[in-house]
Amino acid sequence: MRYGFVIDQDRCIGCHACTVACKEEHNIAVGVNRTWVKYIEKGHYPDTRRHFAVLRCNHCDDAPCIEICPTVALFRRRDGIVDFDNERCIGCKSCMQACPYDALYIDPDRNTAAKCNFDASRVEMGYKPACEVVCPTQAILSGDLDDPNSLVSKRIALEKVSVRKPEKGTKPKLFYVGVDGDLLTPTMMEPQSSHFWAEKDPGEDLYALKSTPPDRPIPGVAREVYDVPHMVPWGKKIAFYLWTKSIAAGVLLLSVLFLNLGFEQDTVLLGLISPVVSLVFLAATMALLIFDLRKPGRFFFLMTKPNFNSWLVLGGYVLMIFAALLVVWFYQMYGTGRLSPWVMWPAALFAIASAGYSAFLFAQARGRDFWQSPMLFWHLIVKAISAGAAVLILIGSLELLTPYQFISPQLFFWLFHILLVSLLAGLALVFGDLFIKHGTEDAVRSSELLLKGRLWKSFWILAVGLGVAVPAILIFLPLGSLLPNVAAAVLALFGLWFYEHLWIKAGQAVPLS
Amino acid sequence: MSDNRTPLDPSAQRLEPASGLASYPPVEKWDDWVEYDTAQWPRKVEKHCRIIPTICFNCEAGCGLLAFVEKETHRIRRFEGNPEHPGSRGRNCAKGPATLNQVTDPERIRYPLKRVGSRGEGKWQRVSWDEVLDDLGGRIRKALQEDRRNEIMYHVGRPGHELLYHQRILHSWGIDGHNSHTNVCSAGARAGYAFWSGIDRPSPDHAHARFILLLSSHLEAGHYFNPHAQRIIEGKERGAKICVIDTRLSNTASKADYWISSWPGSEAAILLAMCNVLLQEDLFDRQFVRQWVNWEEYLREEHSNMPQTFRSFVQILKDTYAQYTPEFAAKEAGIEPDVIVEVARQIADAGSAFSSHVWRNTAAGNLGGWQVARALQLLGVLAGAVGSVGGTAPNAANKYIPAPPLMPPPAKVWNELLIPREYPLAFFEMSYLLPHFLKEGRGKLAMYFTRVYNPVWTNPDGMSWIEMLCDETRVERHACLTPTWSETAWFADYVLPMGHASERHDLMSQETQAARWIGFRQPILRVALEKEGKKFNTTYEAHEAAGIGEVWEEDEFWIELSWRVDPDGALGIRKYFESPYEPGAKMTVDDYYRWIFENSVPGLPEAAAKQGVKPLEYMRKYGAFLIEDNVYKVHETGLKSSDLADATINPNTKIIQKNGATIGVEIDGNACVGFPTPSRKLEFFSRTLKEWRWPEHAIPGYIKSHVHPEQIDLAAGEMLLLPTFRLPTLIHTRSGNAKWLYEISHRNPLWLNSKDAENFDVKTGDLLKVHTEIGYFIDKVWVTEGIKPGVIACSHHLGRWRLAEDQGGERWSTALVDLKQTGEGKWMMRTIHGIKPFKSGDPDSERIFWEDGGVHQNLTFPVQPDYISGQHCWHQKVRITKPGPEDRYGDVFVDTNKSHEVYKKWLLKTRPAPGPDNLRRPYWLPRSYKPALEAYYLSKKDQG
Repeated sequence: MRYGFVIDQDRCIGCHACTVACKEEHNIAVGVNRTWVKYIEKGHYPDTRRHFAVLRCNHCDDAPCIEICPTVALFRRRDGIVDFDNERCIGCKSCMQACPYDALYIDPDRNTAAKCNFDASRVEMGYKPACEVVCPTQAILSGDLDDPNSLVSKRIALEKVSVRKPEKGTKPKLFYVGVDGDLLTPTMMEPQSSHFWAEKDPGEDLYALKSTPPDRPIPGVAREVYDVPHMVPWGKKIAFYLWTKSIAAGVLLLSVLFLNLGFEQDTVLLGLISPVVSLVFLAATMALLIFDLRKPGRFFFLMTKPNFNSWLVLGGYVLMIFAALLVVWFYQMYGTGRLSPWVMWPAALFAIASAGYSAFLFAQARGRDFWQSPMLFWHLIVKAISAGAAVLILIGSLELLTPYQFISPQLFFWLFHILLVSLLAGLALVFGDLFIKHGTEDAVRSSELLLKGRLWKSFWILAVGLGVAVPAILIFLPLGSLLPNVAAAVLALFGLWFYEHLWIKAGQAVPLS
Repeated sequence: MSDNRTPLDPSAQRLEPASGLASYPPVEKWDDWVEYDTAQWPRKVEKHCRIIPTICFNCEAGCGLLAFVEKETHRIRRFEGNPEHPGSRGRNCAKGPATLNQVTDPERIRYPLKRVGSRGEGKWQRVSWDEVLDDLGGRIRKALQEDRRNEIMYHVGRPGHELLYHQRILHSWGIDGHNSHTNVCSAGARAGYAFWSGIDRPSPDHAHARFILLLSSHLEAGHYFNPHAQRIIEGKERGAKICVIDTRLSNTASKADYWISSWPGSEAAILLAMCNVLLQEDLFDRQFVRQWVNWEEYLREEHSNMPQTFRSFVQILKDTYAQYTPEFAAKEAGIEPDVIVEVARQIADAGSAFSSHVWRNTAAGNLGGWQVARALQLLGVLAGAVGSVGGTAPNAANKYIPAPPLMPPPAKVWNELLIPREYPLAFFEMSYLLPHFLKEGRGKLAMYFTRVYNPVWTNPDGMSWIEMLCDETRVERHACLTPTWSETAWFADYVLPMGHASERHDLMSQETQAARWIGFRQPILRVALEKEGKKFNTTYEAHEAAGIGEVWEEDEFWIELSWRVDPDGALGIRKYFESPYEPGAKMTVDDYYRWIFENSVPGLPEAAAKQGVKPLEYMRKYGAFLIEDNVYKVHETGLKSSDLADATINPNTKIIQKNGATIGVEIDGNACVGFPTPSRKLEFFSRTLKEWRWPEHAIPGYIKSHVHPEQIDLAAGEMLLLPTFRLPTLIHTRSGNAKWLYEISHRNPLWLNSKDAENFDVKTGDLLKVHTEIGYFIDKVWVTEGIKPGVIACSHHLGRWRLAEDQGGERWSTALVDLKQTGEGKWMMRTIHGIKPFKSGDPDSERIFWEDGGVHQNLTFPVQPDYISGQHCWHQKVRITKPGPEDRYGDVFVDTNKSHEVYKKWLLKTRPAPGPDNLRRPYWLPRSYKPALEAYYLSKKDQG
């Protein structure tokens, strides 16, 4: 038994009955949808037409939402339906990033994720989904794809069908007949500044190269004329989380490095202050993660209902182990003044894991091509080193304010050079990511958004200029005073955060539907 | 009807897998349906429901709904389609399920309200139904006693109670008091169809057509959207080609094989050019034309010097329509001629399987729009596609009107406020001219009912309506019967809450396909409570018990009111409202429908008996009944030999008469019922039009519209405003309480072709000021390729407003406006704020994300009555300018002095009654609530 849909866009008249019947069946809040109808127009008068597509969850056989969901709130039923349990959901929104089809939303009544569940409650009783029953033109068809005699199987066999984004490897179980391909490929549609009978949030078109739609339609380009509002799942908290995490990891990694390079005069800093700083930023990281949950009270579900395939869970464990190691480290150093290699090296390892695991998490966000960079892991490590160096420099700079000297001049020297090199390496990685087009149009659009799109000023002036170029110059120039160097570290930290912010934003700017 | 796991329709059955999931709960389970609560899923929590059928109340299609009533709470969980309904076959459009919003709207009116300040001041107090009935009943009684019968008027937008219910009421009162919305809607098409066949509506059999020609947008709106859309797509699946003639790119046009984007008003020319192709290429159905067209009468009357043969008729036809070359029509329409020829040939190929439809669209937009319907019918006649399989029948064939109990005789009065002498042929009442009639002193109203009718907003020249409604010397009492707030309700003395789809009784029958059916609307909560043994005297008591307030239904209201009008029976009214089963007792709604179902619906008593239930129970259980399927060629129905006994056949006209009444016509020796026209045939030639002083329009022709390109100077910034199109999600001013519909669609920008946008140097989102003859409005631009250059289009579904922050309009859909008079007759409206979130019992009201509720354009339109059909010609010649620094989005300005001048100007074009025999109107011509024949004659006194 493997339920799937066939949606016949030749029969569909774009009437929205499915949308409303679904809302009624599940009492869905205003502003969010489990199924909706998108409209585009193509051509020039009078050779022009409007086309529709009914969009919703594809009940993928290889569903990325299930893989990433940390608490098994999303699951595949034995009959192939991808269902969810809002009682298990912690509201992390990662499913919204994993799904390449924009199928999930946060239910504002419950603050948990929701999506089309094939009306499993009806199917269980032997009845079809509400959208199928209501459809005036019988454009929606459900059935068992495993049964060669089911109508869906026959139509898939006999007609020319297509699925959304097959390249994602999700094995969708929603097959379209007679659909205009542009409707299935969001970047093929030219956004309009408003919809013909609905308002539209202008922020949604961030990814579009032009800030206003062209005066004349572009030949062959589909114009998006109706769509529902879409949420941007992740915001500043996630950018901050990446940043605080990189500091926690970077400070510790550099400490291990210099402790082993024999900077004995800096033992207090590297052995005692570092783990505390690291712990503080790690705590901030976890707090940010928890408060980004729409159900923060359920954060412990990560432990009680874990999905070990999800990097949200694995990452959580990495952070916790890292934190535990830091505590042991501090306890050991404070108590005995010595650090066992059995603590130090695992701590270093978990620092790397903490900084880098996000690459695996973002890779699980299969909806966001921009985040699928193979360089991401290394990039995160490099950024952790920059962040760690910058923070250690700032701690050292406290000597400007206090009578104490925190850092030896040698360490200062090394830290500046590490900061300089890692910033430049980081920038090289960023450029590699943005200039070398990796793979897909979605990723290209995100890159272009930063390089020459509507975020170009933020990217070039703030992230690259202020965040890398200025600190590099400040470090490089022999100004003979600590102040410019302090400024360099502050700017570097700002640049690191700001780039994360842009990166999170750009990744989500390209519409999934 | 026993196996309800499969829908009725064969094509639907084909789609249903033999094994697999079912669509609908089987009828046996309707009394105790168990389902899992979706709110608690995936935990399997069972909910027990009662499933009770009713009829949707949003558009006129009358689609079936099933209400799922939770037994524990008596809350309606949802509405689904009723698989037993032959028209909608268990499927609905978005407006069906959105009924739930309307029922649970936190903004709804729950109790009768009485005005306490001056009219329009917006001060209301709750009153009892008794108080309302006593006041209204007393006034009506007094007016009847003083023979001021024409001062009682019932003005209806969406009736709900179709099929004679209300005719029974008004005729029992002895008044000609029914006013409607028809002339702002379908009068053009009605006139065109009626002059042909005596029946004013088409009933296309799209499902079996090979070619479908739509001058409509039935895949998204219109009568009857959902049932017709189902069947159009069914026809398409079977291989039918579709052509849509519509100036704008509708969703329907987008699904068509041919989209002909005509200059508005040129459609008759296009259709006649297609006729011309059929004629010149001899592709028409000679047999059908010879048998069923009144060509003999035409030759006798117009070409008596020619041989009176079919051959000469054909020659005259060819000669007459030769002027409508594809090139001529293409020039008028601004299209390519080739497509006309191609479509015409395809229509000829389809032959009798050619279905077509025009209802509003161009017929409602243009002067002479009624000739579009007439030209379309000519095309159908030439194709031989009248009443055929896959053709288009007159709607009477596919509609059933059961006789009610105790039908009073028609009233013996004629109300000139409804059909004045200037418009003897109008279809029907000149409703939207009422303010001008009263302004001219043609009468006053002692009692004015508006029923789901919102003329202030919907009609042209709404400010004149406000002036009229605010004048207590012209309108002494105004009671507004409505389920929702409306702009008009604000200017009433009583706002009387009436039920939605699941809160009232009505009987429906619509020509949705080649069949005849009835549907039964019922108050779900009352029915559910009564099934549990509770008893109620009135539906409002049941609703109060169910927690939705004293929302009532009209069926009971009118019975109660009639008793108060004539409490002792002295006026001869009360007797019509006594139970047919218990003399002297007040008729109940159960009595009324029980009698109809037992006596007037063929086959229903038998079908009920088969199931061991009474007919009323059967209808309460199933909500619909299919009387006859596959109804075709009704005009060919043979007269029975018993009918023919003592009948005479006119040797010239072949008309069969018996006892002074025409009963049929002889066609090639067969006695058939024919069509309800004077000739009993399809009237290519209308003697009526000739006799009523329109000889130039006696045959189908092309009238240049008031917005013909010759009238519009594009270079001077003039354009044609096309203000008449619907959206698939909304229904006039009745769906403002449906949040799920409004979140999809809430604004009505001006559609502007990119070429025009370039000329005006505007882009999407910019403002333009649209000047009409009487004022202006300001709206945003939406640049599109979906509209003809030179034409600007704006949906009439949006732009709702209210005058007070927290009352008088659903806040989901209305902007708060400031309305003030800046001089005599000069009205200025400005938006204070758009739609915004508000606190209510429904958390969704704080999630409203749309602010733009559109712009109200109709206010700025002068009345433009077609001088024959009486149709308001909606399209406007407008001047477009950029707004000035003081102008704001949503501004509306109107000068009602100017609108009255425009009214007078158009009035001059009429050719008033009397016609032959001193008649006010041809007696054979359809008229709603037709008065007695004696009322049709103008008396000496009238003429003096």
